[in-house]
Amino acid sequence: MARQSGTGTSATRRLGILVIVMLAALALCGLWFSAEDVVQGSTVRIMYIHVPSIWTAYIAFGLTALCSAVYLSAKNRSLAWDRVAGASGEIGVLFVAVSLVTGSMWGRLTWGTYWVWDARLTSTAFLFITYVGYLAVRQLGGTHRQRARRSSVLALLAILEIPLVHFSVTLWRSLHQEASVANPNAKVELDGLMLFSLFLGLAAFTLLFVWLVLHRQRGMMLEDAFSDRGLDVAITARRNEAGA
Amino acid sequence: MDLTPRTSTEPGAQPPVRKRRWFPILIVVGALVGGGVIVTQFLTSAIDYYCNVDEIGVRSGCDGERRMRVQGVVEQSSIKQADGGTTFVLDFNKKTLKVAYSGDPGGVFQECIPVIAHGRMVNGVFESDRIEVKHSNQYVEKNATRIEESNKEAAACSVLKG
Repeated sequence: MARQSGTGTSATRRLGILVIVMLAALALCGLWFSAEDVVQGSTVRIMYIHVPSIWTAYIAFGLTALCSAVYLSAKNRSLAWDRVAGASGEIGVLFVAVSLVTGSMWGRLTWGTYWVWDARLTSTAFLFITYVGYLAVRQLGGTHRQRARRSSVLALLAILEIPLVHFSVTLWRSLHQEASVANPNAKVELDGLMLFSLFLGLAAFTLLFVWLVLHRQRGMMLEDAFSDRGLDVAITARRNEAGA
Repeated sequence: MDLTPRTSTEPGAQPPVRKRRWFPILIVVGALVGGGVIVTQFLTSAIDYYCNVDEIGVRSGCDGERRMRVQGVVEQSSIKQADGGTTFVLDFNKKTLKVAYSGDPGGVFQECIPVIAHGRMVNGVFESDRIEVKHSNQYVEKNATRIEESNKEAAACSVLKG
């Protein structure tokens, strides 16, 4: 039997190399090849991280909700679904944090302020807090199935925030601009290489997310197995004690 | 579940105390409090009416000397800076409003750009203590051919005006 160390496989290693190449290409396009914006200057380059980050967070929380729904509805209630949901939630929180920090930097340089209690910013901060709570609920203790059940219900409620965040700029008068690509006018508001860099960022961050989830859910599987093994050892010890 | 062997089998011995996971509980409480603070801040900031320049004195809530937020486009050649303050004219739907700001607006503040000014009307002038520069969802590359084009657009100021 081949010895496997860590949580990687040959497929994830190939994926990891692809992610590194794409992130390097994004850095080149975003920092070097793409031009400055007429109004913002070089500040526009923050967009190539900011937008892919929140996009990845949407995907992450969507996957968390999907896996939670499958866990609750499936007959066998496999804990693998719960682990993918948890892993995806963790990575989603990371990407929302990146989005909030980069957005705040962009806001200072463009709007003249780090933060305003604007609908988009507020709803994104609320989304972040909600999923930090989700991760904390996963750590409250109990059996793996108790963890899976309570966090699945929470994930299905939390996902309802995503449309609120995305459409906040059209629902309220907002300082944050409307979408430049997926907007109601169906008109792309970015020039050539800017648009290419943005899509490259979306692709690179999405693949990075897939790579991270694959590793993290395997890490969680090992944690659960370690925890179960500890339980087995304890039960055996108690049985031995009772038989002595 | 604590399944470690008992150290005492005497009748009446106390069961082992179950350990609570305090850190996650604190995080959950923190998340609830944080969520409440965020919603409160949002609702508090929403108290100030959000008015376009052409709504001043017309729309309910956009009149009098109450505190409000006014949105408009900075009129060309209207920016004047003196004694640490900045004055400029906001334009929206062919209506104008003189704004006096006590400082130097940050961000990409310039002519022909939409801004939101926080403050109140005093003797026909909007005295502002906070300026937020609004950026449109258009991203235009700065290069040799585009500079001339954008200069023409800026001269007209027509693209950005409501």
